[in-house]
Amino acid sequence: MALATSLRTPYRPSFWRTFWTNAVMAPRTSLGFMRVDFVLGTVFVVPLTQMAFFVLVVRLAGGGASEIEFAAVGNAVATVTYSSVFSVCQTTDSEKEQGTMEHLLVSPTNRLALYFGRGLIPILISLATVAVGLTYAALLFGVKIPAGAIPALAVSVVLTAFAMVGFGLLLGGVALYLRTSIILGNIFLFVGLLLSGVNFPLSSLPLPLQWVGDALPLTWGLAAIRAALAGNSLGALGALWAAVAIAAIASFALAIGLWEYFERRALATGSIARF
Amino acid sequence: MANATATYSRGRSTYAALRLSVLQFLADPQWLVPSMIAPVIFALVSFELFRGAGPYFLTYAILGAGMMSMWGQTLYGSGWATGQDREFGTLEPTIQAPTPYLYIVLGRVLWNVVSGLIGGAIVYVVIVAFAGGPPAVPDPAAFALLFVFVMVTLAAVGIVFAAFYVYTRYAGFIQNIGEFAFYIGTGCMFPVVLLPFYTNPVSLIFPPTWALDALRFNAIPGYQGFGWGFWGDLAGAVATTAVYLGVAGAIFHRVERHVLEEGNLSEY
Repeated sequence: MALATSLRTPYRPSFWRTFWTNAVMAPRTSLGFMRVDFVLGTVFVVPLTQMAFFVLVVRLAGGGASEIEFAAVGNAVATVTYSSVFSVCQTTDSEKEQGTMEHLLVSPTNRLALYFGRGLIPILISLATVAVGLTYAALLFGVKIPAGAIPALAVSVVLTAFAMVGFGLLLGGVALYLRTSIILGNIFLFVGLLLSGVNFPLSSLPLPLQWVGDALPLTWGLAAIRAALAGNSLGALGALWAAVAIAAIASFALAIGLWEYFERRALATGSIARF
Repeated sequence: MANATATYSRGRSTYAALRLSVLQFLADPQWLVPSMIAPVIFALVSFELFRGAGPYFLTYAILGAGMMSMWGQTLYGSGWATGQDREFGTLEPTIQAPTPYLYIVLGRVLWNVVSGLIGGAIVYVVIVAFAGGPPAVPDPAAFALLFVFVMVTLAAVGIVFAAFYVYTRYAGFIQNIGEFAFYIGTGCMFPVVLLPFYTNPVSLIFPPTWALDALRFNAIPGYQGFGWGFWGDLAGAVATTAVYLGVAGAIFHRVERHVLEEGNLSEY
C-alpha cells in the first residue's frame, strides 16, 4: 500500500533542498573552472595582472593619475566576469559533456531553486574577486576609497555580482542551442573591456557601440561602483542601483525563460542530443 | 637506408600533426578566441587608449595585439594539445611511437605560428580600418622579417611549454591564470623597461622579450628600450631562442626516456 502511494506521488525535493544541493554540488560538477587553484588564481592573481597590464598601457599612452585610477577600478571590477559569466555559462557545456542534461530536463526539480543555487558560489567568488581587486587598486594604484563610501560600495558590488551571475546564466541558456558555450563566454569576457567603460569612458565610443554597452550589466555595475567611490548622493546612486537590479532581474528571468522554452522544445521533439 | 626511413617517418609525423592541428582548429570554434577575438578586442582597447598619443602608438597597438594573438596560440595551443592527448588516451601511444614526441609537437607549434600570423594580420586590418590608414613604419621589409622572427622565438617558448605540460595537469591553470602575467612580463603592449627594474631579469628569460624590443627599435623612431639597443636585443633573442630549443630537445629526450622507463606517465 505504502509502495503504491509512493509510486503515485512522485518525490519532489523542497525548494531549499534543491537550492542548497545545487549550490554545493555545482562547483564540483557543472560550473567551469571551480577547482581550488583556479578559484584562488581568479580571486588573487587575475585582478592584479589584468589591472597592472592596463594601467601600464595607460601610463605608456601618457595618462595621468585620474586615467590610471579609472583603468584600475574598471579592471578590478571587470575581473568579476571570470567567475560570474565565464564560469557560469559553462554549466550547459558541462551538463552536455557529462551526459546529465537529459536527466536534468526530465527531473521534477524546481528550476528557480536550481538556477539560484548554481549561482550562489559564483556570486560569493565574484564578491571576493571585486573586493580583492579594489584592495589592489587602493594599495597599488592610488585609488582612494573613503571609509564613508564603503557601505554604498558594498551595495554596488553585491548588486553587480548578482547581475553578472544572472547574465552568466542567461548566456548558459543561450548556449543550450550552441555546440559550445566557450566562444560565447569568451566574447563577453573580453567585450566588456571594450564596451562597458572599463578602461575609458563609454562616451568615447561611437553611439551604436554605446547602446550595446548599455545592454551589458557590467556597464551599470561599474557605473554604480564608480559613483559610490566618488561619494555620489544616494539619489544618484539609487538610480544606478535600480539599473543594476533591473539588469539582474532581467538576466535571471530571461535565463529561466530560455531554459523553460528549451526544455519544452527538447521534451516535445526529443532532440536534445542534436545541440 | 634506415636513416632515410627514420627521417621520412619524422617528417610525415610532423606533417600529420600539423594537418590534425589545422583540422581541429577548423572544427572547434573555441580557437577563434585566443587567436583572433581576444587580440582584436585588446587592439581596439589599446587603440582607444593610445588615441592622440602620437603616430607611432598605432604600431604599439598592432604589435601588442599581434603578439597577444601569437602568445595566446602558443600558450593555449601547446597546453591544449597535450591535455587533449591525455583526455583521449593518446598521450601514451604517441610517446611510445617510434617518432620522437618532439616532431609531433613541432607540427602543432608550426600551426600555432601560422594561426598567430593570421591573427596578427586580422589585428592589422582591423586597426588600420579604425585608424583610417596604416601605421608609420620606417622599414616595412625589416619590420615583416622581424615580425616572423618574433614568431620563431614564441615557437621556441611553445615547444618548451609543451614539454613541460607532459609532466603536469596544470596546463589549463597556467594558461588562464598566467595569461596577463605573460603579456606583462614579455612587454607585449609596452616596453619592459616600464616595469620595475628587479622584474627585468625574469622578462629576459623569455626570447620574445628580446625579439619584440628589437622589433620596436626598428619600427618606432626614438623608442626607449633596453640600453644595449637593437643589435644587443637581436643577439639576445638569437641566443635565448637557441637555448630554448636546446633545452626543449633535452627535456623531450628526458621526458620520453623517463616515462618509458618508469611507465608512470598516467601519474602526471
